[in-house]
Amino acid sequence: MLRTILAGLRARTARLVLSSVAIALGVAFVSGTMVLGDGLRESVTDEFSKSSRGVDVSVGVDHQNSDAEGIPRGVAEQISTVQGVAGTDVRGYLHVALLGGEGKARPAVVAPLAKTESLREFDVIEGRYPTAANEIAVDERTATTSKLGIGGQVELLNEQQEKRSFTVVGTYRQGTSLLSLSGSDHVVLLPESLEQLDPGVLYDSVVVAGDGSVGQEALVAAITSALGSGGYRIETGAALVQQDLAFVEQNIGDITTVLLGFAFIALVVSSMVIYNTFTILVAQRTRELALLRCVGAGRGQVFRSVIAEALAMGLFASLVGLFGGIGVSAALQWGLARSTGGEADVRIPVEPVTVIAAFAVGVLVTLVAAVLPALRATRVPPIAALRSQLDSNDDVARTGRLRVAFALLLLVGGVALAVLGTGQKGEQAMLISGAGCMLVLIGVLVLGPLLVGPINRVLGVVPRALLGVPAELAAGNASRNPRRTAATTSALLIGVTIVSTVTVLASSGKETANAQVDAEFPADYNVTSSLYDQVLPQDLVTQLDDLPEVEEVSAAAYLSVELQDEQFAYVTAVEGDAIGGLVNPTIVAGTLDSLADDEVVLSESAARRTGLKIGDTYEVRGSSRADAADAPAPTKPLTVVAFYEGEAFYDGLVALPTARALKPELERGYERVMVKLADGVDAAAGRAAVQRVTDPSPIAVLDSAAETKAQLSKQVDQLLGFMWALIGLAVLIALFGIANTLSLSVLERTRESALLRALGLTRGQLRLMLVVESILMALMGAAVGLVLGIGFSWVLTTALSSDNIPLTFAVPYGQIGTMLVAAVLAAVLAAALPARRAARTSVVAGMAEG
Amino acid sequence: MSAVVSETGTIGTRTAVAAGSLVKVYGKGDTAVRALDGVSVSFEAGKFTAIMGPSGSGKSTLMHCLAGLDDVDSGTVHIGSQEITGLSDKELTKLRRDRVGFVFQAFNLLPTLTAQQNVLLGLELAGRKPDQEWFDTIVDVLGLRDRLRHKPTELSGGQQQRVACARALVSRPDVVFADEPTGNLDSRSGAEVLDFLRMSVRKLGQTVIMVTHDPNAASYADRVVLLADGHLAGEIHNPTADSVLSALKNLGA
Ligand SMILES: Nc1ncnc2c1ncn2[C@@H]1O[C@H](COP(=O)(O)OP(=O)(O)OP(=O)(O)O)[C@@H](O)[C@H]1O
Ligand SMILES: [Mg+2]
Repeated sequence: MLRTILAGLRARTARLVLSSVAIALGVAFVSGTMVLGDGLRESVTDEFSKSSRGVDVSVGVDHQNSDAEGIPRGVAEQISTVQGVAGTDVRGYLHVALLGGEGKARPAVVAPLAKTESLREFDVIEGRYPTAANEIAVDERTATTSKLGIGGQVELLNEQQEKRSFTVVGTYRQGTSLLSLSGSDHVVLLPESLEQLDPGVLYDSVVVAGDGSVGQEALVAAITSALGSGGYRIETGAALVQQDLAFVEQNIGDITTVLLGFAFIALVVSSMVIYNTFTILVAQRTRELALLRCVGAGRGQVFRSVIAEALAMGLFASLVGLFGGIGVSAALQWGLARSTGGEADVRIPVEPVTVIAAFAVGVLVTLVAAVLPALRATRVPPIAALRSQLDSNDDVARTGRLRVAFALLLLVGGVALAVLGTGQKGEQAMLISGAGCMLVLIGVLVLGPLLVGPINRVLGVVPRALLGVPAELAAGNASRNPRRTAATTSALLIGVTIVSTVTVLASSGKETANAQVDAEFPADYNVTSSLYDQVLPQDLVTQLDDLPEVEEVSAAAYLSVELQDEQFAYVTAVEGDAIGGLVNPTIVAGTLDSLADDEVVLSESAARRTGLKIGDTYEVRGSSRADAADAPAPTKPLTVVAFYEGEAFYDGLVALPTARALKPELERGYERVMVKLADGVDAAAGRAAVQRVTDPSPIAVLDSAAETKAQLSKQVDQLLGFMWALIGLAVLIALFGIANTLSLSVLERTRESALLRALGLTRGQLRLMLVVESILMALMGAAVGLVLGIGFSWVLTTALSSDNIPLTFAVPYGQIGTMLVAAVLAAVLAAALPARRAARTSVVAGMAEG
Repeated sequence: MSAVVSETGTIGTRTAVAAGSLVKVYGKGDTAVRALDGVSVSFEAGKFTAIMGPSGSGKSTLMHCLAGLDDVDSGTVHIGSQEITGLSDKELTKLRRDRVGFVFQAFNLLPTLTAQQNVLLGLELAGRKPDQEWFDTIVDVLGLRDRLRHKPTELSGGQQQRVACARALVSRPDVVFADEPTGNLDSRSGAEVLDFLRMSVRKLGQTVIMVTHDPNAASYADRVVLLADGHLAGEIHNPTADSVLSALKNLGA
């Protein structure tokens, strides 16, 4: 039997190569996703572990048993005298404003430089660490964004607005920590310099490096007794590492889940392609298998030969796919690093579970895919199989009633769940509606063979009208074996459904964010303070108002007030006469022309929460000055005049004088100034004029609505790009599935093609026929996938939408169109090889083919 | 139909297909097979000619070359007055579509199309409108009227071959080539197909060239051309099953 198997393998090289590639691609996708997940985890773990490297003992505040807000540096000195301690350093940070090359203040975090070299959590990239009080090292990202180079000057502003100047002596790379993830600028100073910025600074922890004479546990004991009882949490470095790892697990868990989700999609899609390919392959061999049986091979022998062949192929292709997957993962990491502008940190850890998954997918799926058709093939009496005309509709789906009933059940259940979900709130709504969508997708897949005919008829109309007979033949071919066509297209259907759901959701999110920006920023420009605890000076408003290029200026401030009955609200304060101009709430009840000193407008949700009605007057309590905390808080009676919808102004709107009465600190200035340019003023000239006023102020930051939107879009697009790359692979496999089915069908229909050629179909027409068939199949998957995807994203946006955050449903027609065009182009590509092969076969040779 | 009969008489002297010194070699060197080794033969228009000979004598090869399905190594083929050797694939395709009809032994029909669509396929490819009267005549003569909407899998082997015959004739080709059209049929179905082919020649004025193994089938023809080892080995006019059988015996088949 072995010789027959080998001979068979040799004789069917083309078909075997096709199915091997299908398996290899599937395995590559699954293993690639897994390697990518492990790689990301490894790199994050490494980054986090920088903070625990060299640490033998860490001393922090025991917040459960102590009210202390931090540790003074004296404690570090105290610990350094303990036996067995080689060095101690403080860790913590200070918020400051950083004035870099651009003269603009940016919020920054200052960390103290560890004096013990082994305790430093940063790696120097260029230059060196500061050694003198007037030296500073900056994080490499900060250096890029603030345009700082070695030798440059940096000023830091403390809370008291005192400036101190430093010379940049080096750049470094931070390990990943909560701080670095926050994206703030980051610099290090000697601890002494840091304490000059804030003399009363308290640190988060003291880290200790031992001299190796005692173990970590002994060191902990020694330090505990040295510090005396209470108030400290003293841990070994090993425990710190454990905590870091646990933290990584907790935080990277989401990413891993997402990647596993992709791996699962990959698994499903690849399994479908492999299964389909193998089913066709064995179906085509039914006659050959029957012949083997006629010449005396037992049923078991034939069955075993098919399985052995599948096994050999699965093993070989899995191996190829595993290596391919590692390559894909490396390429993705490289691309990701490039797109975010970071240093490429390519890691390809191959865990045993990855190898197991790869072979499980490659070998098991292939085996299962081979067993079912092989069983079917060997069950047929050999003579019947020999006689049957295999290249006709031998396998036409007589889709049973059971299938329809099952599909309908899924569809009805899915729609019901989706509708139910839209009535729920938040995460629950998402889960219920999401499950509903999933059921609908499965229902459509189950119903697939039944849908092929009608959809094909609709899609076939245009090519038939344009291209005549070859298109007509193609449409017939595309639906001649509905089960096969459905299986071929469902992989693509799944891919496109997911891609379009994600894309429409992303676009809806962008649109929602833009709408929010528009509501918040009806102005051309916004001037805000870069430091959250410092306001923009009053005269900035006057200066801006004096500009000829500026038509209108409106200042805004934010304050927290206490409504009656201990109900707190965060409200926006604006100029009373800016209403209808730069401040444009959507009024849903009451009337609002301009806001008087004793009036308040509430958001709908705040009104509902407090039960206040229009016309109610009530006493509002503000807050007293920080430097006179004991003085009674100011109060003011306010009348509710209107309600507005949305969250753009938080809970309510008051006039600025009202705000100043309730929050005396606002006398110093505003938190935001909105600027509207005069009609006909060129955007560049307008910006330049505004900038002349804002530039001298170290804290004034100029933002245009357009810039804010662009910033938001870029973030969403980056995420979307990553998703596209991952799901794109699934779509690629699906398209390969189409190419595969087409190639196999072409082989199967050699005689038919020859007959057509004899009857007068030209080579070009034959090629055209296959291309149209491929396009029809691709469009079937893509069109149904798009309809489902758009429907699902509509359900999900509706489910997630709430009164507070109304989500806008926005279909990105451009991107959807691109997807369809891409599907058609890919289909043409998929048909290229099979079409070439079919057209090349001579008529006589084709007729002779068995 | 009498008008048609007299018409065949007038064009009976015209040559429909002619081959001159045809040579077709398969393979190279030691394994080369001269499937056709200098065959010169012509086929009269409006006549039913059978090509016979032992297995491997080159019958199918000759037919493929005559029909422009295969290229020749040397020699010429004319269909009507047009020389087809040396035509490009595109020109040959167009020629087949417009001027030649085919009936093969099996796999004559496209499984995705109904009987009617199969019959009209060649015309559609050529972008020609079917002649409704002619179509009706053929369909009725072949008894296919109530089978037109069926798919090939729903037809018997004999019915399938009759559909193939209808398709070959519906475009009024200059010549119909049939390669063992009854090879897969029982004797009754075979007789039906052969009757029709003969009728299409006698009554409808068609030209038919048929390859067959069966002396009985050959007896339906006006003339039998005998092939052996790629050579012409004689011919029989107005053959009967017996005369064909004895001629074949002489060839050593
Ligand atoms: N594609 C080919 N390659 C090589 N040799 C071929 C090829 N086709 C035919 N031959 C050879 O050419 C010769 C003639 O073949 P052909 O098919 O014309 O015979 P035939 O008379 O139709 O036989 P049969 O009655 O068995 O159909 C045979 O010897 C055959 O082996
Ligand atoms: Mg033959």
